[in-house]
Amino acid sequence: MRVEDAICSFCGCLCDDINVEVEENKVKRVRHACRLGSSKIMGHERIRSPMVRKDGELKEVSYQEAYERAAEILLAASKPLLYGWASTVCEAQKKGILLAEEVGGVLDSTATVCHGPSVIGIEEKGLPGATLGQVKNRADTIVFWGCNPAEAHPRHSLRYSSNACGRFTSEGRSAKKIIVVDVRETRTSKNADMQVIIQPGTDYEVISALRMLVAGKGDVVPEEVGGVAKKELASLAEMLLAAKFGAVFFGLGITHSRGRYKNIDNALSLVADLNSHTKFVIMPMRGHYNVGGIGQVLAWSSGYPMSVDFTRQAPYFNPGETAACDLLAKADTDAALIIAADPASNFPRKIVEELAKMPIIQIDPYENPTTLLADVVIPSAIAGVEAEGTAYRMDGLALRMRKLVNSSYPSDEQILDGILESVRSLRSSMSLRGGLKDDN
Amino acid sequence: MIIRGGIVYDPANGIFGEEMDLCIDGGRIVEDAKGEVIDARGLLVMPGGVDAHSHIAGKKMNTGRIMRPDDSRLGTEPRSGVCRPSTGYTVPNCYAMGYRYARMGYTTAFEAATPIIEARHTHEELEEIPILDKGALTLFGNNWEVMECVHDKDIAKLAAYVAWGLRAARGYGIKIVNPGGGEAWGFGSNVKGLYDPVPNFDVTPAEIIHALAEANEMLRLPHSIHLHFNNLGKPGNYTTALETLEALKDIKPSRMRQAVHVTHMQFSAYGGTSWRDFESKAPVIADYINRHNHATMDMGQLLFGAATTMTADAPLEYGNARLTHNKWSNHDIELEESSGVVPMVYSRKMLVNAVQWAIGLELALLTEDPWKVLMTTDSPNGSPFVNYPEVIALLMSKPKRDSEMATLHAELSKRTSLGGIERELDWSEIAIMTRAAPARILGLEDKGHLGFGADGDVSIYNLLPEEVDASKEHATVKKALATAKYTIKSGIVVCKDGKIIATPRGKTYWVDAAAAQADMDRLMVDLQEKFERYYSVQMSNYAVQDVYVTNPKVIKAGIGAEPLKEVA
Amino acid sequence: MRNIVITPLAPIRISVEAEILSPDIFAPLSMEQICGLDVWQGNRKKKISDLFRVVGDEGPAKPEETALRLEGDFSRVKRIAEGMTAGTVDVTGSVGMHAGNNMLGGKLSILGNADDWLGREMRGGSIIVEGNAGNYAGAGYRGERCGMRGGEIEIRGNAGAYLGEHLCGGNIRVAGDAGDFPGAANQGGTIFIGGSCHLPGAEMTKGTIIVNGKAKVLPGYQKLEIVTIGGEKYQKYAGDLVENGKGELFIQAGSS
Repeated sequence: MRVEDAICSFCGCLCDDINVEVEENKVKRVRHACRLGSSKIMGHERIRSPMVRKDGELKEVSYQEAYERAAEILLAASKPLLYGWASTVCEAQKKGILLAEEVGGVLDSTATVCHGPSVIGIEEKGLPGATLGQVKNRADTIVFWGCNPAEAHPRHSLRYSSNACGRFTSEGRSAKKIIVVDVRETRTSKNADMQVIIQPGTDYEVISALRMLVAGKGDVVPEEVGGVAKKELASLAEMLLAAKFGAVFFGLGITHSRGRYKNIDNALSLVADLNSHTKFVIMPMRGHYNVGGIGQVLAWSSGYPMSVDFTRQAPYFNPGETAACDLLAKADTDAALIIAADPASNFPRKIVEELAKMPIIQIDPYENPTTLLADVVIPSAIAGVEAEGTAYRMDGLALRMRKLVNSSYPSDEQILDGILESVRSLRSSMSLRGGLKDDN
Repeated sequence: MIIRGGIVYDPANGIFGEEMDLCIDGGRIVEDAKGEVIDARGLLVMPGGVDAHSHIAGKKMNTGRIMRPDDSRLGTEPRSGVCRPSTGYTVPNCYAMGYRYARMGYTTAFEAATPIIEARHTHEELEEIPILDKGALTLFGNNWEVMECVHDKDIAKLAAYVAWGLRAARGYGIKIVNPGGGEAWGFGSNVKGLYDPVPNFDVTPAEIIHALAEANEMLRLPHSIHLHFNNLGKPGNYTTALETLEALKDIKPSRMRQAVHVTHMQFSAYGGTSWRDFESKAPVIADYINRHNHATMDMGQLLFGAATTMTADAPLEYGNARLTHNKWSNHDIELEESSGVVPMVYSRKMLVNAVQWAIGLELALLTEDPWKVLMTTDSPNGSPFVNYPEVIALLMSKPKRDSEMATLHAELSKRTSLGGIERELDWSEIAIMTRAAPARILGLEDKGHLGFGADGDVSIYNLLPEEVDASKEHATVKKALATAKYTIKSGIVVCKDGKIIATPRGKTYWVDAAAAQADMDRLMVDLQEKFERYYSVQMSNYAVQDVYVTNPKVIKAGIGAEPLKEVA
Repeated sequence: MRNIVITPLAPIRISVEAEILSPDIFAPLSMEQICGLDVWQGNRKKKISDLFRVVGDEGPAKPEETALRLEGDFSRVKRIAEGMTAGTVDVTGSVGMHAGNNMLGGKLSILGNADDWLGREMRGGSIIVEGNAGNYAGAGYRGERCGMRGGEIEIRGNAGAYLGEHLCGGNIRVAGDAGDFPGAANQGGTIFIGGSCHLPGAEMTKGTIIVNGKAKVLPGYQKLEIVTIGGEKYQKYAGDLVENGKGELFIQAGSS
């Protein structure tokens, strides 16, 4: 069997032109995908069965037993953290939000360790963006700031940006100016028309200098900013102003260097300023394929796109206080449900040590370092391969992920439903026994 | 269910304040029923409110939420009873959207603007809005395929595309926003007027509007074209409004309704040459609407306080952001549209804002026939929908308008005729502008009235219409409308004394229009090329799948379709 | 004065939200009523007396005649003195986040350190911290255009990053260093920093920032003359010109 136009569940590019050959319910061949996407779709060895830690060891149990143990952990906690969500579909995310409301927890996504600062920047300035097809059809000037799509988003260039051909960009790469701003040479910068190497942690100042130059106030700008000569910055500003349609893509190089969300804040202002002269848009390069989705679903459900604290039954949002890392850094959480993420690999060591101290429920198709810390492990179908559902591309476009093969594993949504049911029945039996204080 | 003894306003059926009983069974108004009896003796009873133009779902709304945590923190209500938590004031979350409309006695609301390619997102949010019946208008005014058909004067292919687009978007009707301007914004410019050619496409806004109106009638769509004029929000734009209306005089409606619905007219009734000599031209617009029968409009009333502007008119939003030095989100949508979102505060101290406030009221009060003008705030552009009771109270009370005007800029009376308008609307007119007319204008046969067979959507207010003098007791009116005593949706009491007690899932209306196969075939050749060369998604992944509309109400239209029943 | 002393019964792990710890709330209530007030610890609603020992003079009293004394470690107790209009709150230890949120009047004194968002969106009154303050002292809520609008914050130790972000009025004085971006997007008010800081006044449109130590200055600042303030010489700058700002930035001459 052949599945045409499948959607890749690796990165925020959400390439939707993947052809997959399936034989005997196994993916045999993946066409059109990049190396990263292909290996994601092909998959590797799975967690076999649900497990619950007993006497220090993970023991195989039924799904029902795992759900019940998960419900016990969540209900016993004063401030459970429900973390992950970026590599699963919106249908599971919706269930997760409902679960967070019902157990009075804090729900946060992996955005907190990637584009969280971008979100805070957007809260300051708004986001002047576009769909990727708009960039493909119109952009003659593209800036990659602190990102390296050649390595992290391999098909971005051909489908949407540097090498894409569209209605007003029929000559492709040859008629475009590609600019890379980074702290070092990268594979992306090697193919650029202009490469600007800045000193680490000076993004904010460099952007301020560009804003001054774009506004014609270059006389105030010092001779060197962020290790870059004013002359070079002036020619960069000129290139930006010469664009008919410019697009800025940015990545973790700018969101996680010194200045963090202020860097994004200033970049958004630069783009707004440029629109007084020409047309410019800006977009974060999202990593996990549906990290955009959790932001969207959370926003329409709770009003906020990440780090939402439901402990008092009303959504409260304040990254710096309510993000996963903030809670763990202050030991201000007492249980965790981790879904479709691997904080044990991605969080700072001190924070992982904190995580290791509390009961953890893990929902994931694969074993990863977080599994070693988990008390309940629930294997799931791979969303976007074994289960269908909605995902939001890095430009906010919603697409429906196809199911490519059947699976005996339950989907993330079904697992969360199982936990939710166990939470409800456990709660009602506890209140019958008077074991749980009814707060209402 | 029997609703006993209410004073019923059902203008579509010629009932203007009669004491009568209403029966609901199987979710519909029937002649006789058993069961729960609701005591409405002496109370104001109307059909459930219908909002024909509101921004309630989709990318723009979510962009507003994401960029405005400062707004989301307002209006926070914890999860309780049957309710999920509520947040936000101008950009409420989906749950608040449903609860707050229901609290005011509204049971239907239509999302005003969705690009086809982003309709999946819109439906994801519509599905999450509890209680309300809803639908979404689909944007066509800056679409490449549309402009190419217009350029080729191929109305048949255009109609095929509209039919295809509505189906792909699970959309309800044709929305046109600043036609041509959204495409021009793709390279940072705008169109200046009705006859200013769209860059790279060699068509004018006038041609786009006219051709879409023709296609609309060729397809016998339940609603007319729904139009946001060019030059919206600019001083002196009333001439564009009049020019556009004139250009549509020859459109023959295929159904007993208007040929064009002009949305949020307040933003298009501006005189003056700049914000300095800015003045109301509402009397000129109202006079035109009074003398002609091809157009209807909604107010787009502006109220003082916080708003969030959101529109497919992207160049307008850039202007707003620069003018007010505020946050600016923009979103260009490949081959189809552009859009923007900017927070706003309308201030009593600003003469411009005061004039805008007056214009909306003038439009409603100077238009003689209430069937031609709907009460809206273009929520949340003019003000969030929760403030509808304030607008209604203003329309019903000259003393309230006078006392408001006394607090505003002294210059105001020279810029608007509002102070000299004596008219005070009565409950029949309010019932028309908030129920009967929006349903008729949208072409919703089962909404906005209480005749047998109509949807069992009823609002009952804690107000005795025979005793309360709305002119003097405007505060009582406002309070009663803000919190319905009962809101009944499809025969279920969803709200009682302001408390939400049930959250049934509403329906989503969409229009399935048929087009001639030969035209559809020609269209497919175009579309295949567009998807191969220009779109960033595959055609097979483009259209909204059925799973996103779980409770659809499909209205058939199109060439060869059965003639539609005319709305009462 | 009506004096009331509040002491934690045991060390607190999961942070407590206690916006009721304010003279305005306590003043009209009897001691019994006070002990019955609610606080939240995570998703558990508790009585104040479940977590704290509360003793003091019997009420009622006016807020301006009410003095709260918080003895012990309150570093995991949030929203102390939120919205207070009068009276005093004295803390012998450290306080958690959002102390003095939306404060309108009265006096909050903290002998230890203050966590992030001290005096967030305050409009009046005064806060004194003997130790250090975290990030966002005197700042606003996420996405809001205005932070602190009035009143005084004095930090005798160091301040964290984003000190006085979106400041619209009032005075902030830090004896030690401030972190990155003090006075970002300021529209008024005055910030004095005794020590050093990084990139002060980013996008400032109005207001004054004085830095006694070292500071890296943004490229949007125009260097003006040397001026003397209180006997010290300062290099004066105007900016931030990226926003056509008219703010004033003074950095001790020879130190930047």
